Amino acid sequence: MNRRYSPGVTVRTVVVLIVLGIVVLPLYWMFVTATTRKADMFGDTAQWWPDLTHLDAFQNVLSNGQVPIWIFNSLLVATGTTLISVMLAVPLGYALSRYKFRGRGSVQLLLLLTQMLPEALLVIPIFAIFKSLGLLNSQLGLILIDAALVLPIVALIIKGAIDGIPIEIEEAARTDGANPFRILWGIILPLIGPTVAAGAVIAFFSGWNEYLFAVTFTIDASVQPASVGLAGFIGELTTPLDSVMAVALMYTLPAIAFYFFTQRYVVAGVTAGGVKG
Amino acid sequence: MTSTKPVQRRPRRGPLGARWVPYVFLAPAIAYVLLFQVVPLFQQMWISFTDAKLINPGAGRFIGFDNYVRIFTDEGFQRTLLITLIYVVVCVFGAVGIGLLVSLLLNGSFPGRAIARSLVTIPWAAPGVAIALIVSWMLNGQYGLFTRILGFFGIVVPPGGLLNDASTALPTILTITLWQLFPFSAIVLLSALQSVPQELVEATRMDGGGPLWVFRSATWPVIRPTVGLLLVLNAIWAIRRFELIWLLTRGGPVGSTRTLVIDLYSRGFESNDLGRAAAVGMVGLVISLLFVAGSSFVGRTPRRKEAVR
Repeated sequence: MNRRYSPGVTVRTVVVLIVLGIVVLPLYWMFVTATTRKADMFGDTAQWWPDLTHLDAFQNVLSNGQVPIWIFNSLLVATGTTLISVMLAVPLGYALSRYKFRGRGSVQLLLLLTQMLPEALLVIPIFAIFKSLGLLNSQLGLILIDAALVLPIVALIIKGAIDGIPIEIEEAARTDGANPFRILWGIILPLIGPTVAAGAVIAFFSGWNEYLFAVTFTIDASVQPASVGLAGFIGELTTPLDSVMAVALMYTLPAIAFYFFTQRYVVAGVTAGGVKG
Repeated sequence: MTSTKPVQRRPRRGPLGARWVPYVFLAPAIAYVLLFQVVPLFQQMWISFTDAKLINPGAGRFIGFDNYVRIFTDEGFQRTLLITLIYVVVCVFGAVGIGLLVSLLLNGSFPGRAIARSLVTIPWAAPGVAIALIVSWMLNGQYGLFTRILGFFGIVVPPGGLLNDASTALPTILTITLWQLFPFSAIVLLSALQSVPQELVEATRMDGGGPLWVFRSATWPVIRPTVGLLLVLNAIWAIRRFELIWLLTRGGPVGSTRTLVIDLYSRGFESNDLGRAAAVGMVGLVISLLFVAGSSFVGRTPRRKEAVR
């Protein structure tokens, strides 16, 4: 059979290239725009290739006072979201994986139900709660809600990983007198390190990407994350577009880079639990 | 599934400790989820029966089913339901359909396969706000890349761009949404395709089966449960989707992209009418629940098909 080197492979390769072109196009155009001089941007013909002699935009935005504040706020929200959600999700995933207990079914149903609640639905009551608690217009408020939203998926991914570890290891430790908390901390956690890291990446970027709560709950530029800052530029052309796209690129590339490494775990966890990533 | 069975002779202690141990492990997380998702849900239910306004959310008066009666007799809301239906159906079948085609494409052999599989996740990983930003520039009615490309083929774009015209806005939004959605289905199906027995594929080919026949008899039976799961997941997510539409059109022009969640948010935070917004939200949630209950009843989708291995 000559299947391996048949014209079929060539056709397939061409189709794959077209698909990848469509997939990468917006990102490519972000980069091209970030390196395009203003005069070329609004010309009669488009500038199709990045102009690598014009990288000023990347330097300009870093010296702009507001951009570092946005990035800092996004980092703060994302880090807080990660810490809270992972700390709560590890014991939850462990309990769901290793124990049979009354109410186990209800807990799993609850986690599934949370995936069906639109954020736009939660935003109204949480607005009311945060208003009375004074948590509006603060990074802490965003951290608290973002962690709640991503917690179920992180827990289910971690549960999946613990499911894959033979229980005999724990039983041996138990015979030696270790208590359940020591077992989780000292034995299980080191074994599921990569999955916990993947869960942390998911939590981090769900906080990093979050827009709806951020735009509804924050008013002052000093507490707004980059998602809100960038959204302000949509559809307006008075701010130099190369600078806007330079910020957008700095905001986008970390998410894509980290997802490359963790997509395997995300796919496994999402399909295992039937939950969003 | 490895979960422990209670030891029979000592009923009060499982192999990993006393009975109360699992509750200690899960209590903080469950309390947290209850506090931030379930309590607000019930509060939302209550608000939907009041005339609460944004300025003072807690001070609404109880007005019974008034909000519900009003939204259901509102023609704009009926249109919203129709738009939501179109949006969800296109998202679900489009995302899973394109995802299936791409997964079959990437499952074959060609140079650079590993890189291709990584790159295809880009639309799924990219932050929604960044996508809305670049896409709105690409769709700019004068200088946008798409406008220039379409112009090259002699297609004239509406003056304000494709998003600014009531007849082209929804198809444009749907196209971008499918671009964002299909990679997830593609990579999940790609991993499901790994468990299609190669001997069966070869045997079917030897018997003279064409690609379509191979797909029907060898591939489809294996991936069918995964396709079912993806249909349900995409439906749940499609109903929830907010960001892209809100950022690009705010539900306009003239309500042509106003889905249920856009309607909900706009009523709450643009018209300050929290009560009616909450009622819209409850209607959306009920539709979602009915759909999931219905699909698990009809499809009997195995939820735990792909454990981490």
